[in-house]
Order: sequence, then structure tokens, then C-alpha cells
Amino acid sequence: MSNVAIVTDSNSGITQAAGKEMGIFVLPMPFMINEETYFEDIDLTQEEFYKKLASGADIATSQPSPESVMKLWDSVLSEYDELVHIPMSSGLSGSCQSAMILAQDYQGRVQVVNNQRISVTQRQSCLDAKLLASSGKSAKEIKEFLEADKFNSSIYIMLDTLYYLKKGGRITPAAAAIGTMLRLKPVLQIQGEKLDAFAKARTTNQGKSIMLNAIKGDIEKRFGGMTEDKHIWLQIAHTANLEEAHAYREEVLEHFPGYDVHIDALSLSVACHIGPGALALACCRKIQV
Amino acid sequence: MSLQQIDAGMLSKMFLAGAKNLENKKEWINELNVFPVPDGDTGTNMTMTIMSAAREVTELGDAITMQGLCKAISGGSLRGARGNSGVILSQLFRGFTRRIKEEQTLTIPILAEAFDKAVETAYKAVMKPKEGTILTVARGAAQKAEELVEEGCTDMESFLSAVIKHAEYVLSQTPEMLPVLKQAGVVDSGGQGLIAVLSGAFDAFLGKEIDLSIKPAAGQKGAEGSARENQRQAEEQMEIKFGYCTEFIILLNKTFNIKTEMDFKAYLESIGDSIVCVADDSIVKVHVHTNDPGLAIQKALKYGALSNMKIDNMRLEHQEKLFKAAEASKAGNASPADSTPSAPPKDYGFIAVSVGEGINEIFKSLGVDYIIEGGQTMNPSTADILEAVEKVNAKTIFILPNNKNIILAANQAAELTAEKDLFVIPTKTIPQGITAVINFVPDLSPDENEANMLSEIGNVCTGQVTYAVRDTVIDDKEIKKGDFMGIGDDGILAVGSDMASVAGDTVSGMLKEDSELISIYYGSDVKEEEAESFRAQVAERYPDCDIELQYGGQPIYYYVMSVE
Repeated sequence: MSNVAIVTDSNSGITQAAGKEMGIFVLPMPFMINEETYFEDIDLTQEEFYKKLASGADIATSQPSPESVMKLWDSVLSEYDELVHIPMSSGLSGSCQSAMILAQDYQGRVQVVNNQRISVTQRQSCLDAKLLASSGKSAKEIKEFLEADKFNSSIYIMLDTLYYLKKGGRITPAAAAIGTMLRLKPVLQIQGEKLDAFAKARTTNQGKSIMLNAIKGDIEKRFGGMTEDKHIWLQIAHTANLEEAHAYREEVLEHFPGYDVHIDALSLSVACHIGPGALALACCRKIQV
Repeated sequence: MSLQQIDAGMLSKMFLAGAKNLENKKEWINELNVFPVPDGDTGTNMTMTIMSAAREVTELGDAITMQGLCKAISGGSLRGARGNSGVILSQLFRGFTRRIKEEQTLTIPILAEAFDKAVETAYKAVMKPKEGTILTVARGAAQKAEELVEEGCTDMESFLSAVIKHAEYVLSQTPEMLPVLKQAGVVDSGGQGLIAVLSGAFDAFLGKEIDLSIKPAAGQKGAEGSARENQRQAEEQMEIKFGYCTEFIILLNKTFNIKTEMDFKAYLESIGDSIVCVADDSIVKVHVHTNDPGLAIQKALKYGALSNMKIDNMRLEHQEKLFKAAEASKAGNASPADSTPSAPPKDYGFIAVSVGEGINEIFKSLGVDYIIEGGQTMNPSTADILEAVEKVNAKTIFILPNNKNIILAANQAAELTAEKDLFVIPTKTIPQGITAVINFVPDLSPDENEANMLSEIGNVCTGQVTYAVRDTVIDDKEIKKGDFMGIGDDGILAVGSDMASVAGDTVSGMLKEDSELISIYYGSDVKEEEAESFRAQVAERYPDCDIELQYGGQPIYYYVMSVE
């Protein structure tokens, strides 16, 4: 049985510290802030990031450099036979594409997973990969398993403001669809490659109930309904909004009594496009090993 | 010996006389409205409903059959139905005619059964029937009729007279059933309207001399021109109620069929009198006396460009150039160039009833496809809504009535539409409508969307600030004519002579502990600075709430506000 390591990037929301604990290697995402490079969770904390964002700093995301990726892989492969690399969604970043090219030089020892996950659902993929590895699956088998499973997740994000979405100009179709005279809180959906407008709300409570209903609908229509064995993971993610996230967990639990609801901060590469005060609700179908 | 049976000819006369009598009493009935707000005119709504039927009855000419008459009464009132009492009236007619349409002549037992059928149908049309209203009066009449049959009453005249007397008695009891009526010191206006119809009909039965001429669809009967001329001159001798004589020609760029013409005239009737409206294939000549010529012009602009416009102040000149075109042409028979949409229908469409350019814009920016102008001062009819439905090329259409007095007409439109799926979201106020459309999710099914919207509109509190048109007492609050009033979802929230403080008190009356957002839409009679300072006042008082101020541009209501 080969010895398979799991590697991801900091978009998974897994911190360096948590990664060490879980046995998952986390590649920090670089940020350009006022033309200086910072690395998430290395020399840039969440607090510092939001402070800079609020001050109107010019923040740009970028892919991890090939050098940093290969350096991490090489060091991991000195201890492990193979590794599974789970980058942020190929729909949102070129990181995945780049990693796949780099992996070609590793004779199959590096398997890059293109399963279009982000944040809490990307994190869940890492946990799933870990589980698969411990059950004796090879890196290639894990990659294939996760890619086949990619649509078994769903994320909805409610934004507090349209400001950052417009400023970034990166997610224009979504922003355009919600352009209106009233101040609205858009609810976006990440589904595969697509990050798009799903609905809109006037108040936080409306937005929260829209997301809750949407997740319920997905579970009902796509994931085989609510079952006794609670075969769904639920996750809440937020941008500088922890208190609200905890309050939302209580509401979610009223509808899903006894379920696991994991809370994470949304990764900074998403946060810089949507700004602080956002709240996300996600679910993943539990895998069957 | 008096008549013991009623045939189609007599019934037609009775119906027209009933309609006419209602029309004559229209203003008086309007004044019976409980809320002294400058809207919700029961008399006008009922009159417009019955006139729509009366016109169809008049068009039958002399060859009247019971079948044809029933169809005209039922269909005409159904399409013309406006406002809750109008819709209920149309349902009474529908039930009544359903029972009698197979008969040649009507006897006392048949009439009693028809009354019963009428009441049954009307009760079914209302989701939560309320006692102390037109429904109660109608039921009282039907019960009396049944009693009389059981007692063996055989004389038609005494039968009808006893039924009407009893209906009047029930009407007089309505204040005992509805406390709001008692406090305001009025009887139910819808019930009063029904009595007007019945007694008018009875007069015709007795053979009283009644002018049965119904304002015809334009250019239909040239012979009536001179009679109308006399009438108009006679009117001029009297006090001038509507000050501007307004004339213009519409160069049509849209089809102007009988239905649009009817609606257009109905609209003119709501803002003035002395109406002449003559259409041929490409132009419509219009003449109306009104206090607000702008309204007539705005409405006309929807059908095409205007020319030969002339507005005279009659109060100053007291002289008026009469519009001479009555015999000019025939009514433009609907060119059936139906705008059959060539593009494939989209999945969802939205129709909203709205008033005020600001609010219209907001609805449009939220994706509403078609705005029916109306609401406060003018309830759109079922026909107006059907017309809008025709114009929206979508498989499923959500209708937002945005006024409690329009919901029934919208429901009726939904029942009359077969080829599109209509969902009436029973929004009672503009803010509820805005919330409903915001909560629409294109990815969900119609039923899921309906459920979402219904649950969300339940979370919206609305308050509207307007002025009182007369003295009254409601909810134990004494109201003086000219006072400002804040009206919430369940009644009066604030009264006073200072608008800002009434508006402020209205907001506090609406607020709940977990309220997050206060939206304020200011009307056409409020200056922007005034609205801004009101917003600042609210913001100071409720620092925990988001406050959004928007220009609504609505008439009559200074502020329309919501708390969510």
C-alpha cells in the first residue's frame, strides 16, 4: 500500500496550524497589496487583510508561483510515495491548470484534482481525500473519485454589499444581473465553474432564509433528500462576520437538527472580491468509501 | 293588474335602470367609505363594473333573448369588474344569470332561486367573507325571497318590494356587524350600491319613466348626439365641477379596440365628465371636462401621439367649444392584428399594479415586465389585467396587485386566462410587491417561488401617510378633515396636523424588535429636502436600522413606508 499525502491551498480555509494537526499540507496563496506580496496565513492574517481592504488598498490575487508549488511537492514527496493536490476551483483561478502542467513532470506521483471546489467544500474534499487515502486508495484513484463526486456540493453566498463585486470587475455577469436602484444583498451561487447571481434579498434575514431554502432544495432534488443517516455535511463560511455565522448556525440547526455544521472564514481570495460581512451556506454529500 | 312574470325585454330594462340608478348615486356612495382617504371609491368601482355590462346589454338592440342578455350581463360585468365591491357585484350577476339563462320568463320561485345562486357564487369568490358588507345585504335579500316563496307569495310587485325592503333593513344593520362602520357613522357602501341597483330595477318594473340611455360606445348612435348636447348644456348651467375643457386627437400607434376604448372612457369618467371619445381606424378624438387635464393626456399618450390639443379653463371663460365629431365615424373595430409574439415565450414574467414614476422605475429595475398604472385612485379592472397578461410573453406570469382592492380583480383575471399560468401574489401594498419581486428566484419552480414570495410578504409591515377627506372616527381616533393620517396594515397608526410627526409616529407604530430595514418612498407632493430631513429624523431615532429613501412619485400618499 502506497503512502499518499494530501496537499491543498489556503483557499480551503485550512490554516497552517490546522493543516499540521490534520496531516494536510497547505500551500499559502499570495496576495499583491499595494504592489507588495503577502502570503495568506504566513505573513498576512485575516485581520490585517480586512484592515487593508477597508482602507481601500489595491488588492490583487495571484496564483502560487510554480516554484513554491514544486518546492512544497518535492518536500512532501521526500516523505510520501504519492500526493493528491486539491487546488481552488478551476472556474475561479488558473491555479489548477498550472498545477496540472507542473504535475506532468512527476511521473504520476502528483495527481491534481479538478473538482471545482472552494472554501468549505474544498476543505471537505481534503477531508474526503484523507479518508480515501487511509482506506488504501492510490493517488490516482482518489483523484478520480473526487472528480466524479464534484457536483455533490453546493454553495450560496450572501453579500453585504455590491461594492467589491463591482470594483473587482471580475464577476461582472453576476453584478450586472443585480444592478438596480434599491440597495440589495445579492445571493450568489457557486456551482461547478459558475459563480453567478442566484437571488436577491433586502435584509440579512431574507438572505439567510433564501440560502437555507436553496440548500434544502438542493438536498431534496440533487442529493436524495433528507435521510436518517444525515448523509450531508453542512458548512457556514463568512468574511469578517464570525458572530453572525454563529447565530446563523443556530438557525440552520433548527432546520437540520443533529447535523454537523462547520464554520470557517471564507478564503481571502474570495473575500477580496466580495468584501466583509458576507455569509455563506454550503453542503456536501458525504462520500461512501 | 300588474305584471306577474319578467321576460328578457323587461329584465333588460330593469338591469339598465338599476345601472343608471347606481350611477346617479355614485358620489353619495363614494362618501360612505369608512376610511376618509382620497381613494377606494366604492361607488365609482361598482358603477364602472355595472356600466361595462350595461353597454353590452345596450348593444344587444331590440332582439333580446334571455340567453343573450345573461351573457351580456355576466360577461360585461366580469370584464369590467373593479375593486372588491365591483368584483362581488359581478359575481352576484354571474350566479344570478347562471340560474335564469335557460328560462324564457322569470317567476317568483325562479327569482328566489336565482338570488340564492347569486349569493352562493359571490361568497365563493371571496376568500374570507366578511359580514356587514354587500355580501350580507345580498344574502338577506335572498333569504327574504325564499321565505316569501315558502309563504306562497304570488304577486311579483309585492315580492320585489318586500325583498328590497328587507335588504334595506339588513343594510341599516351593517353598522351593528362591523364596528368600523358604526364608529364612522355610515352603512356599508357596497351594500348601499346593491340597494341602488335593486331599487332602480324595481322602478323600471313599476313602469316609472326612466332615462335608460347608457353612454354608448362612441359613434354608435348618431341620433343621440343632440340629446347629449342638450344634456351637456344643461350641465353647464349648473355649477362647474370640472374646470378644464380638454380636447385632443390621438394618432394611434396601438390597436384601439372596443375594450381599450371602454377602458379609456372608464378612466376619463373617473377623472371628469362630459366625455366624448370617438375612434376610427387611425385616430381617436377625445373631449373631457376634468380638473386635471394632465391625467387625460398622460393616459392618451399610451395609445399614440397627440395633436390638436386644446385646454380651456371653463371657470374663467365659462364658454366651451363643443366637440363636433360625434357622428364623424364608426367605432374602430378591433383590428385583429394581434401582437402575436414571434419570439418564444420566456419562463417567467411579472405584472405589477403601480402608481408614481419612481415606484414604476423601481419595479422595472427589478425586472417587472409590465406596469398597470393604477392602484390608489384608480383600481384597474379585470380587463386591464387581462390586457397586460396578453402583452407579457411568458409562460408563467406573476401578478402583483399591490392593493387589497385589486386582488379580487386579479384573481378573476387568472381564472379567465387559459394559455398562460397566472399566479396572483396577494400583495396589498407597494412595499409588499417590491419584496415579492425581489424574492423571486429564476432557478426555482413557479410553486416554490409562490411559496417563497407568500412567506416573505408576510414579513413586511407597510405604513402610508395621507390626508383625511372628511371628519370621522376610526379605531377610537378622532380624525378631522385635512388631518394627516398614518395607516398601517391593521388600521390607523397616527393622526395629527403635522406631517413629519405623523410620519414619524407611523414608523414607530410599524417597528418590531427585530426590524432591520426601513424603506421610505416619498410621494409627488413631498419635496426632496423634506424627505431627506425626515429620513435623518428616522435614522437618529432608530440607529440600529438601515434606512433607505427612494423617490416614489406616488400621488395622494406623501410617504409609503415599509419595515422588514
